[in-house]
Amino acid sequence: MTERRSPWTLAVWMLAALLVLFIAGPLLRLLFLATPASLGQAFRDPELLASIWLTILTASAATVLSLLLGVPLAYLLTRVPFPGRRLVAGIVELPVVVPHPVAGIALLLFLGRQSPIGRVLADAGLEIVNHVAGIVAGMLFVSAPIVVSAAREAFRGVDPKLERVARTLGDTGWQAFRRVTLPLAGRGVLAGAVLGWARSVSEFGSIVILTFNPKVASILIYDRFTLFGLPAAVPAAVVLLLMALAVFVLVQMLAPDRAARR
Amino acid sequence: MIRLESVTVKVGGFALEQVTLDVPAGGYGLVIGPTGSGKTTLLEAIAGHAPLSGGRILLRGEDVSRAAPEARRVGFVYQQYHLFPHFSVRENIGYGIRGHGSGVRDQRVLELAEMLGLTPLLDRGVHGLSGGEQQRIALARALAPRPSILLLDEPFAAVDPATRRALRRELSLLHEREGVTTLQVTHDFEDAMRLGDVVAVLAQGRIAQSGSPESVFRFPNSPFVAEFIGTGTVLRGAVDRAGPVVPGEKNFAARFRSGGLVLEVVAEREGEVHAVLRPADLLLSKDRSAGPAPRNRVAATVVRVERGSAVAYVHLDVAGIALVAAVTAATAEEMSLTAGDPVVVSVKATAIHLI
Repeated sequence: MTERRSPWTLAVWMLAALLVLFIAGPLLRLLFLATPASLGQAFRDPELLASIWLTILTASAATVLSLLLGVPLAYLLTRVPFPGRRLVAGIVELPVVVPHPVAGIALLLFLGRQSPIGRVLADAGLEIVNHVAGIVAGMLFVSAPIVVSAAREAFRGVDPKLERVARTLGDTGWQAFRRVTLPLAGRGVLAGAVLGWARSVSEFGSIVILTFNPKVASILIYDRFTLFGLPAAVPAAVVLLLMALAVFVLVQMLAPDRAARR
Repeated sequence: MIRLESVTVKVGGFALEQVTLDVPAGGYGLVIGPTGSGKTTLLEAIAGHAPLSGGRILLRGEDVSRAAPEARRVGFVYQQYHLFPHFSVRENIGYGIRGHGSGVRDQRVLELAEMLGLTPLLDRGVHGLSGGEQQRIALARALAPRPSILLLDEPFAAVDPATRRALRRELSLLHEREGVTTLQVTHDFEDAMRLGDVVAVLAQGRIAQSGSPESVFRFPNSPFVAEFIGTGTVLRGAVDRAGPVVPGEKNFAARFRSGGLVLEVVAEREGEVHAVLRPADLLLSKDRSAGPAPRNRVAATVVRVERGSAVAYVHLDVAGIALVAAVTAATAEEMSLTAGDPVVVSVKATAIHLI
């Protein structure tokens, strides 16, 4: 009790409260700005609904790809010592520090028709730039590090000796992974996937460069704000915010004691 | 059987070097050594979890040096049990049983559970079980697929002494009943004396000595082995020939000197040696003229007496050198041994082991 009243403790509480207010304040302000009428109108807006549907689909596709490619990579980074492991781990985390428009330009140069890879993909019928695949590429670029990082953390939490015991009990490497490691790490991987999905939904910077049209929700909101001003953007922004909040609740349910543990 | 031929394993900066060991079919081998000597690495190499840099591993007479762990058909019990936390006790035990109907699996699980007193726990999760219970489950799980080879990594290290004694008994019974060739690593020589047919002492990745537990205990081949397994007091000194050279005989009568202590010994070579004095070979008396007359009789002072229920260890000061003698608790009582008492220590020249 004595410590709680000390000036130091008070200062810590005040600084912490300021940050919480800074984060929660704008979001609450936005939520309260929307009226039931404007929200109802937003849910009847076909362009907004199509854009949200596109966002959900592309974010889900990016998440599935993140899992398909990221889980094996996370497993290798956690379990298998190989030359250059730290370098690979660093590369996977790079998108976190790259400004997203820069990521968009880099992806444009790498996957656009002017690049060898872009040409090969386009010849195979997979156009990236200005197509839905471009949205998925931008989302994958920003969400994969989240999925890989969560999966690495989850695999790190499973003692490798459990797999070894399973192997001596007759499991192949894949069987031991499927029967022991994945069930034990699954919750952490799933929480990472949900966070990655949420990150994909919120992506704007790279998508605006790769694929402005068709518009995902974040681009539609930006478009309405620049063309028609704040009142036109708010209902769509609130819908997107509600989606984000739903995901946030889901993540909290998947990892209920995470905050307490840290 | 388990046969290791010059096995070399490199893990990070540590290496197991040229390990050679034989455990006959149905035998019980023990590898003992201090922490960091490579005991667990050795077991992991046998199980296929650590790749070999050299040598061969033969199990049941078959070279498995490059075989995958699942193809080696060994049971492995880790020191910390490593039960699958997402499965019940029953599922843990039955994990490795495959290729049979569920009836066969259930029967084998029940058989092992009964043998190890686990039947009431079968439908429980593994959280909250005691160390002894977890160890029994790990043992049952390893034995369930009927492996012909069982590898045990310090199975008694994490349990209390009473559980350790019970587990040791159960393990001995299981070994007899299942006839599994077993290799256990431990840092406790008592396990070796009670369980092992063959014992190997591992030091810094190399086998320092191997043989029957009795022979390793009585005739350690280095001061390290003698000190690690607790054969007795190890004294560093020098041997001088005291008797005549007899053609054709490699032993000769000699004197061993260490500090102020001079002992008559039977030696094979002169010069710098270590002498091992086993506590049970030191006889104590309070009367200088009493008893038989071994070659060595030296005056000593009792420093302290460590009384057990059956044996008392008497710590002595002999010419500034610390020795330990073992006597029965009854003898210690009859002699009324207390710190500061003058006593006479007798030891036969042939009982002093020189290395």
